Amino acid sequence: MPGVGAISGAGGVPGAGPASGVAALSGAQGDGQVTGLVAEGLVKRYGRSVALDGFALSVSPGEIVGLVGHNGAGKTTFVEIVSGLIRPDAGRVSVAGVDVLAQPRQARARLGVCPQETSLYPRLTVAEHLRLFGALAGLRRGTLRRAVTSIAEQLCLTEVLDRPAGLLSGGQRKRTQAATALVAERPVLLLDEPTAGADPQTRRALLTVVADRASAGAAVVYTTHYLPELAELGATLAVARAGRVISRGGQRSLLAGLAGEVRVGFAGPVPAGLRRLGQVDGTAGDELRVVTSDAPAALARLLAAGAAPVSIDIRRPGLDDLYAALTP
Amino acid sequence: MVSSGTAIRLGVLSRHNTALMLREPGPVVSRLVMPLVMILLFRPLYLSALARHGVQAGTVQVVTGMLVMFSLLALSVVGTAILTERTWGTWDRLRATSVRSGELLATKALPGFGMLAAQQAEVLLFGVVVFGLRVADPFLLAVAVISWALALLGIGAALGATLRSQSELNMAYDIGGVVLSALGGALIPLSVLPGWARAAAPASPGYWAMSALRSALQGQAGATLRAAAVLLAVAAVTAALGTWRMTRGWSRSRSL
Repeated sequence: MPGVGAISGAGGVPGAGPASGVAALSGAQGDGQVTGLVAEGLVKRYGRSVALDGFALSVSPGEIVGLVGHNGAGKTTFVEIVSGLIRPDAGRVSVAGVDVLAQPRQARARLGVCPQETSLYPRLTVAEHLRLFGALAGLRRGTLRRAVTSIAEQLCLTEVLDRPAGLLSGGQRKRTQAATALVAERPVLLLDEPTAGADPQTRRALLTVVADRASAGAAVVYTTHYLPELAELGATLAVARAGRVISRGGQRSLLAGLAGEVRVGFAGPVPAGLRRLGQVDGTAGDELRVVTSDAPAALARLLAAGAAPVSIDIRRPGLDDLYAALTP
Repeated sequence: MVSSGTAIRLGVLSRHNTALMLREPGPVVSRLVMPLVMILLFRPLYLSALARHGVQAGTVQVVTGMLVMFSLLALSVVGTAILTERTWGTWDRLRATSVRSGELLATKALPGFGMLAAQQAEVLLFGVVVFGLRVADPFLLAVAVISWALALLGIGAALGATLRSQSELNMAYDIGGVVLSALGGALIPLSVLPGWARAAAPASPGYWAMSALRSALQGQAGATLRAAAVLLAVAAVTAALGTWRMTRGWSRSRSL
């Protein structure tokens, strides 16, 4: 697996002058502090509609941040601003230490972007797509060939390299789109719902590559509605609502205090003496559901009250509960 | 001085855009073939209409007229190339790379320029070889062809960057192409047009294209350069409009 240095230097940086050279690309500032992606106070309005309202997010090198939120929460607008596609009305963003607004091209040279909507040339082959985006990222000849071969293998595209994008399946198109963003290693990756509508093979392949890139030192922003993916990636979370990040942290700390559930099944109807401890459920009224953040204690109370269950099912709070709690 | 990185990006994008155009050759082939067919069919009509001015006048009118009309219609190749990138979402993919907006636009225009120049060269060569069209000054003719091609590129880029759908684009090309051709005297000689149309003719880039081409064929340097200057001004203004529009981008929050 390539180290941080591999990401820092791979492919060169088109347009990066001496003043913003390797140190900036690697995300290392003069004092040695590593920056990744930093966004502060981003505001974006469209007429009366406010897309971003003080959006702030920082991502360290090697960190994967799962950016979650309902549609319209501002995730894609944030991605578009960082990508240099639109300018914010206020705020600042830096990519690997380079100010996106002041030096947009140099910032984009440090960025790999996979937009939400699949955007491919129907008549160009997969290989042509990868060569185009690899070449524009500064890869040349042998390096470009190796990068194309490598990302195609990683994302299971080798068999379709010579097939026009218009003839690909939905999953292959998704993987090709992601491959164009990942063909050159970049210190910051923005992946906007890369697995939306994707099949399990596509999802598995993408998650593996994303995890690898983060291990190699890339700062990754991964927006998704599939919350289990974030658990699988070991991502920290940023929950967006109404144009700002309302909660940020590790999964464990954010999940602490959230209610999970204990379901206790009985051979017959739930005994009357136990019904006050939870909610009767099940098709025959033979199950007691207790919502609690302390499952062992709840179970102990039930047993102490004389419960003789035939089944016990404990569901710990998950990302869905967090999502529901924070984004009503 | 162009840096090696810039030169490489320009090369990569030029090849890419040429490949895109050649993978959909239908519109290009049609714009190359149609003017020749129309010249063959309409030449007798123009010779008859301009008989008192001599055979050469009729030939000049039909060759330059069809050239201007079909090069205006060939604008669709340039505009569609930009619009399809917008609708595919690939333009924003390219904008999110380290490529400059100007580089994107220039390399998108380059194959279009080649096609427009080839179309004009083909029509003029056809006139010379088949109908004995006389060219007094090839250099002046090249100036006229290049300035007209640049004006067409600018107009095409501005339309492709501004209009919101292929149907809007088709409408603009169909109506605009025919109106500007007609006003410019490409379809009917200016002398035959009604007075109000003759007065409005200089508002059409087609008028200046006809003027530049006709003057160049007759070796009139002053008139050719004057018309070419107007065409280059049109190119500059429309290209600036197209670049400005493209630099702003098309967010999801706006149409397209």
